[in-house]
Amino acid sequence: MGLSVPAVAVLLVVLLCLDPHGRVGSAPICAHGSSGCHVPSLADLFDRVIQHSARMHSLSNDLHSEFEQYFLPSKNHIRKIYRKCHTSNILTPNGKENAQKLAREELTEVILKLLMAWRDPLFQLHQSMAHQQDFNSFSSNKALEMGDMAHELRKGVEKVAEKMRVLGMLGNSVTGLSAAEAMLPLSDSGEAMSDYELLYCFRRDSNKVQNYLKILKCRIVPEHDC
Amino acid sequence: IPPGKPRLTSCRSPEKETFTCWWEPGGDGGLPTTYALYYHLENSETVYECPDYRTAGENSCFFNKNDTSLWVNYNITVVATNALGKNISDPVEVDVVYIVQPNTPENVTAVVVHDEQGPFVRVSWEKPRTADTRSGWITLLYQLRVKQEKDKEWEVVGHLYNILHMLVFLVLWTTVVFYIPRERSLWIMITIFSVFIVLILTWTLNVKRNSVKLCLLPPVPGPKIKGFEKQLLKSGKSEEVFNTLVIQGFPPTTDYDELLVEYLEVYDNEEQELVLDGKDLSEDCMKSKSPSDSDSGRGSCDSRTLLLEKCMEGREGSGSGSDQHQYSQHGETSWASTESSESQGPEPGSPESADGCGKTWPVVFSSPQPQTHHHYQVGAAKPAYHSVPEILNHSSPHTTPSNYHQLHHQDIPQQEGRFSKPACRHSQSYNQFNLDGVGTPAPGVPPSPSLEYVEVQRVNPENMLLLRPLSDPNREPEGLDCAGEDYSKVKEVTNNILLLQRDTSHQCVDYYSQDLDNQADQCTTQQPPHPCKPAVHQSNSRMPHEGMRVMGNGYVDSTVLMPSY
Repeated sequence: MGLSVPAVAVLLVVLLCLDPHGRVGSAPICAHGSSGCHVPSLADLFDRVIQHSARMHSLSNDLHSEFEQYFLPSKNHIRKIYRKCHTSNILTPNGKENAQKLAREELTEVILKLLMAWRDPLFQLHQSMAHQQDFNSFSSNKALEMGDMAHELRKGVEKVAEKMRVLGMLGNSVTGLSAAEAMLPLSDSGEAMSDYELLYCFRRDSNKVQNYLKILKCRIVPEHDC
Repeated sequence: IPPGKPRLTSCRSPEKETFTCWWEPGGDGGLPTTYALYYHLENSETVYECPDYRTAGENSCFFNKNDTSLWVNYNITVVATNALGKNISDPVEVDVVYIVQPNTPENVTAVVVHDEQGPFVRVSWEKPRTADTRSGWITLLYQLRVKQEKDKEWEVVGHLYNILHMLVFLVLWTTVVFYIPRERSLWIMITIFSVFIVLILTWTLNVKRNSVKLCLLPPVPGPKIKGFEKQLLKSGKSEEVFNTLVIQGFPPTTDYDELLVEYLEVYDNEEQELVLDGKDLSEDCMKSKSPSDSDSGRGSCDSRTLLLEKCMEGREGSGSGSDQHQYSQHGETSWASTESSESQGPEPGSPESADGCGKTWPVVFSSPQPQTHHHYQVGAAKPAYHSVPEILNHSSPHTTPSNYHQLHHQDIPQQEGRFSKPACRHSQSYNQFNLDGVGTPAPGVPPSPSLEYVEVQRVNPENMLLLRPLSDPNREPEGLDCAGEDYSKVKEVTNNILLLQRDTSHQCVDYYSQDLDNQADQCTTQQPPHPCKPAVHQSNSRMPHEGMRVMGNGYVDSTVLMPSY
């Protein structure tokens, strides 16, 4: 017999122990394709960032529903929250046609702007949740993971943009975002936003990021899944 | 009569580009009634009317591509009007992105195909026409369900999106097909099948590993008394054993300003979970306590550890600090006493001295780090005992604060009779021990160095904890009376927080439990400004706990029962 049954079983255990909903790990991206190092294609990179954004959005969804479930008893109650999200200054396409009309560079830039604008607020959100005793540790861990994911996702999208630039798909108008783009989560009145508002806004923005990435991917590398 | 109130039943978008809302009439009042739908976008006051009442049928409104914006809340109302008046429905907030429900797959066919290996069914379908997956705008997942005609339930066939499952399945079947000799195939297949089940279970458990771990293995530190050796007990030399329990230098006879807890903080908390969730405390105070501190039973009255020198740098004033602890839920009154020499940083309620160093009287137990075990079963907690030595004698329980330790509860709404707080308290209560008079003996009271134990007499309606020396002749007999609460039992200690347990005797249990139920209900129905923690472990606050023992004369049982996590 070639491969014995116990060995296969061990393999299966290993396979199954991989959490299918787990985080997308980051593998080193080889600069020059040295031997033994698999250089991911643009399609691979896109798949990774899309998976990442899906996971991030799902986390934000979970946190948002937990919040609603525990702290806001009536769901369809008119909520007085809707102060503007701090990212409302960023012009984002609000429909399919508008998203498709945007050039690749602009779409990529919008995605990066959104992710950058959430860097500090997500950190603040985690801090705030960790200090309050209303949340159990799972929630605040999720918030931490969410913040990390947003950071990794931004790095990932920057790499994708870099790769696209190298391949000549992008013009040079996509510039690195300066620190000036990082925004504070202040509403119009200048007060800090509450946790619920942050979660509400982030849930929406993470959905936007996920959608835009998918559009971008199917426009640039439409081979499979499109 | 005017029309009844219409009600928006549902809104749905099949492709994330258009959407439709439906409503049901509320009763037309016998007259011809017209319905109109109005909406406005979030953060905008402009009200629009429904652009299309026809396309989606009766009592519906269809928003086409031009009228649909994503990631924006629509605030929609329906107005019913007849000759006698009108009625407006409750508004509904809708964000189109969250109401997407694709149309059904098209051209679904199931064909039986005969093969040399046997017949099988091939199911084929096409994606719904409206869904635009080509541009990546929508991603569709398909699920195949099968049932026999007589069955009631559908079963899911294969999980098409989860490649991992397919992979596992493939590998298994490869093993079975290629590596098993045909004769022994049955036995081996059974083995493989059971292995498969085990692996599936392992995977499920792994996915839920956190909750399983908490459920099966709540961390339980064992009981232990410092200085108490089981060997000594076994050897039968009782004198040596009990010598270790004797506190040298207790009661302390040194200067008053070196002594004792000057500030006791009392605050409200819910169950212990929240106390132990006090990450802010743990960061401040427990940093130096290494996680490897295995002496879980520490806290006996060892003389060396009792009088601890504590130096505080940058401490705030004694009067401040009401915002330093946030304990936002209901619960029993609890005491916090400063303790342990390893606490660092400013701590409210720490004793003040001229040189910045003060001795404290740790009468509570240190406990292992709670930060890793937050979500534990409260019911497993066991009380511990302590005694609070009192500096000065006094005769009446109602003297001024200078001689008497009084706890003032702030922000607690007045409750008549029984001291019970509503479940959804959110205010932070800061209770400060007023020990202004420590060191200056009250007139008429000899500054005797004798100390005695006190017990908590009761909590009066002003939410003051009144202490009373145990030698007080006015003291009521030992039996617990249901009319008052006995607060002399310490539930547990962590993080410089001493939780007193409100003790009731057995006959009082129901009364108290009922109280809790009502409070819990209050919690879910109100909308507190500072919300309540979900009462997941409600049953754990029932009392009494096992393991509470009162010695006959009211003294402390030296057995240490540690809280468990």
